[in-house]
Amino acid sequence: MRKAITGAIYALSGAIGVLAFVYPLLVPEFATAGMGQAHSQVAPLITAVLVGLTLLALVVELQGRTLSAKTVAILGVLVAVTSVLRFIEVAIPLPGGFSPIFAPIILAGYVFGARFGFLMGAFTLLASALVTGGVGPWLPFQMFSAGWAGMTGGWLPSSKLGTGRAAISLLCGFGFVWGLVYGVIINLYFWPFAVGPASQTWAPGLSIGDTVARYVTFYVVTSLAWDIPRAVGNAAMILVLGGPLIKSLLRFRRRFYFEVITDA
Amino acid sequence: MLDARVWLLWALSLLLIASYARNPLYGIVLLLTTLVVGSVCAPDREGPRMPLSPLRFALIAIPLAALFNALTVRLGETVLLQLPTWLPLVGGPVTGEGLVFGATNGLILTVIFSSFAVFNRVIPVRDLIKLTPRAFHESGVVLSIALTFIPQTTRSLQRIREAQAVRGHRVRGLRDWLPIIVPLLVSGLERAIGLAEAMVARGYGAVADAGQPVRNQLFLALGLLALLGGWLGYLFMPAQRGIAAGFALAGAVLLVAVLWLAGRSTVHSVYRQRRWRVQDTLALGGCTLALAVALTQRGALYYAPYPRLAWPAFDPLIGLGLLGLLLPAFLPLDEEERL
Repeated sequence: MRKAITGAIYALSGAIGVLAFVYPLLVPEFATAGMGQAHSQVAPLITAVLVGLTLLALVVELQGRTLSAKTVAILGVLVAVTSVLRFIEVAIPLPGGFSPIFAPIILAGYVFGARFGFLMGAFTLLASALVTGGVGPWLPFQMFSAGWAGMTGGWLPSSKLGTGRAAISLLCGFGFVWGLVYGVIINLYFWPFAVGPASQTWAPGLSIGDTVARYVTFYVVTSLAWDIPRAVGNAAMILVLGGPLIKSLLRFRRRFYFEVITDA
Repeated sequence: MLDARVWLLWALSLLLIASYARNPLYGIVLLLTTLVVGSVCAPDREGPRMPLSPLRFALIAIPLAALFNALTVRLGETVLLQLPTWLPLVGGPVTGEGLVFGATNGLILTVIFSSFAVFNRVIPVRDLIKLTPRAFHESGVVLSIALTFIPQTTRSLQRIREAQAVRGHRVRGLRDWLPIIVPLLVSGLERAIGLAEAMVARGYGAVADAGQPVRNQLFLALGLLALLGGWLGYLFMPAQRGIAAGFALAGAVLLVAVLWLAGRSTVHSVYRQRRWRVQDTLALGGCTLALAVALTQRGALYYAPYPRLAWPAFDPLIGLGLLGLLLPAFLPLDEEERL
């Protein structure tokens, strides 16, 4: 019973997240409503509120189930280390949208599991936003996408693959794909803002294909050049640093299995 | 120093008003408001580093948005130049109206960015964490640990780099980061183990039962279901929009109720309570005034340059109402803060 409800919570919040990202493509008329229809201009805001609420629900569920003292401590420290890596990104101009935070998030998900990965991704974005001054309506979307990156990292069976070549190459692929997908997702969020509310090109009967074509232009014009370095950087980082990092994380995972025996 | 909640309302009001406004004149009023409030209330305070100043953001966002809009929008009568039609997606006339509308979108994005930049600068990080609802006690602990460890980790990164440099190590490529990152991670994890042992020894989590009660979980799932169903209905069944919106709202209310229920079980105490001051009430009033003006005059805030470019209308009264958001810059500081 409990397991089923938990699964339902994950699935539903995932579905809401996906819907929030793709609805401008499915229902363009809603995102870019007619001139003067001022109420539709807040659609992105309402979306942000809904996504934020869903994220809160998911975090309440996740924190209730996983956060023992050990997890709290290790999660906090890993988030701190990864956020420091993000300072490097702010301080030294790296090529394009490359950010050193994705590789650790994916690796942590791989070693500690999907739930931990989600929390790690979401909290890393939150903590570094707090410290670098990046809090804003875009934050729930960033937290969701980074959380998903960590969560999917946890879907690979780390106990079977270990630190072998297969694991590293798979994780490299993950890093590459997530580098691009993160850009696509974050852009989908900005899309209704950037397009603006006027029915500029939208006409009754505009198909999904046309909208997607327009989104592709938007993406290629504004972000592809920015996202490619991120994807390549993630893959390179995992390729070079992944093996040793996974080894140390695995070692500490074993060390963290200490139990407290209380005589009641 | 105003209450953190007032600042949050200030930033959210700007966000809401900016999303309604497409009139560049009001956009400029809002942008100047954020810049003035930012320079008065957070003058070069030793605080979070800004990756991007609002003005630099404007320099990037406005031309990019204008370019994109002009290249993809075919409306408007002032044709600036004609791109060959064989070009996929961008071929066709480029109009001045499209350019102006795109630039306005960029301006609005800048206003939103700038208002949150001010918010981030004026609020100390600790106060932001205090805004976390009580249901997120554990998450708040994780965040506090992370934020406490960030300076330590930065120092330890510095130390490791120096130690490796003494040994003749130079960072040339990605591979050279390995002798720096691995010790950084390992030393961090060692500290995490110490911290976890200390927390367990002090009884952290010893009394808490495992996880949420099933009832809360069930309500969470139901709330999400109503939210998703209502939203889908709103998007795809235009005839039943009212019912669908009601469903989504009910789901949202249910979720908030569960968060409140989950928060009741954690006890929370504060060492020094911050008092609500007159300045807080005044700033609150300013935000409310601007919000009221913006929400009642939504039509006036909107402006579209199509079909032919015309100077946007500007109502001084509305402009004055929006200046309610400027109030935080003019509130006197308390005696203790002036010292």
